[in-house]
Amino acid sequence: MSSMIEVRQLKKDFGSLSVLNQISFDVKPGEVVAVIGPSGSGKSTMLRSLVHLEEVTGGSISICGKALVEDGRYASTANIRDITSRMGMVFQHFNLFPHLSVRDNLELAPRTLKRESVQQITAKSRELLSKVGLSDKADVYPSTLSGGQKQRVAIARAMMLSPDILLFDEPTSALDPELTGEVLRVIRQLAEENMTMMIVTHEMSFARDVADRVFFMDNGDIAESGTPEEIFGSPKLERTRAFLMRE
Amino acid sequence: MDIDYIIRISGPMLEGARTTVLLFLIVIVLSIPLGMVVTLMAKSTLKPLAWIAHAYIYVMRGTPLLLQLFFFCFGLPQIPVIGEYLVMDRFVAASLGFILNYGAYFAEIFRGGLLSIDKGQHEAAKVLGLSRWQTLRKVILAQMFRVALPAVANESITLVKDTALLYAVAVPELLNFAKTAVNRDFTVTPFVVAGVIYLLMTLVLTLFFKLLEKRFKFE
Repeated sequence: MSSMIEVRQLKKDFGSLSVLNQISFDVKPGEVVAVIGPSGSGKSTMLRSLVHLEEVTGGSISICGKALVEDGRYASTANIRDITSRMGMVFQHFNLFPHLSVRDNLELAPRTLKRESVQQITAKSRELLSKVGLSDKADVYPSTLSGGQKQRVAIARAMMLSPDILLFDEPTSALDPELTGEVLRVIRQLAEENMTMMIVTHEMSFARDVADRVFFMDNGDIAESGTPEEIFGSPKLERTRAFLMRE
Repeated sequence: MDIDYIIRISGPMLEGARTTVLLFLIVIVLSIPLGMVVTLMAKSTLKPLAWIAHAYIYVMRGTPLLLQLFFFCFGLPQIPVIGEYLVMDRFVAASLGFILNYGAYFAEIFRGGLLSIDKGQHEAAKVLGLSRWQTLRKVILAQMFRVALPAVANESITLVKDTALLYAVAVPELLNFAKTAVNRDFTVTPFVVAGVIYLLMTLVLTLFFKLLEKRFKFE
């Protein structure tokens, strides 16, 4: 099968500042890509562009063979929603809905979009909560959860629409160090189930462990990419090496 | 103060309080949705719509409520040509003034509520495939009302007391009855009774909003 994500010459400017500088890459089905790099290198912007949270200035993005944006021209609103709905996203700050119980956080979107029956939706939310180890928290509000629990709920919520691709924007950066493990375990489990994922992360050992490929981004470019062994073992570029030394 | 007198005047005063409560209910029920609509207009990307909303809020907040009541009760009929069609029952005219005035205040309260909602909420809803309208209905408004609740409670209590302005446009209500009794009977007791009735009304409101806040604590 062809690429799940196909990005060509992606360009994003904020005024005169170029945040993404003609980025191109492919992500194959089942592949796990970790994106590392210093703050301000464009990692998050790149990820957010894929789900249309950022509007790009130029270039092309195709998801599962369908063009979200082609040479800077976006698809229609309906098509954009259709294409981006194949992706789930997990945010650094969880972005759970505070006015809804954990269960309702999971079920809000599927119940609103009505693609499945209510029975299917409730069965799925029960299954996913048990998968992330939070079956006993179905009826509580997010404010009562720890950061790690919140992020696991967020992952379950992102899985409710059975996405083909999961995107993680620094999923553990807002967590206390002792809580990152439980979140990384869930992500690792998804990787073992061949979920296609892109993970922007500062957890180097996790990236090394779970990724099939690593992108090192710097100044709006993918400066270097390769297997974890290549990037962490013998980086070609001096700036990659300098970054890894700092981390 | 003797008890018999208090009981004797309480009947007509409660009669007056009925007008007070009626005005309160009409204004609350209509001005909150109005405030909601004005808030959304103020946030609209259609510039003229936003401009109208801001101008409306500015005028209603920037002039005395009493002036607005005078305008609706006594001013409108004076307008040349169309004035004669604008003669309304004074209670209706006053209600209109109250609704428009409180609508502007509620609009500002809701706007503050909207500002407090993190943009991550919009982003999460968008990525989950909700349309802007679905996001507004299912994610934003509920949180906005929760944030706005204490200010809405405060505004409602102010409204109970502002109903006394009906006195100035000669619509008989609680304060009107009290004043009449004071003048007639040469005693301050009716004012005290009126005060107690106002306190009872605000007590009910306070308890009601406490209950709402507890119900929507999301914990």
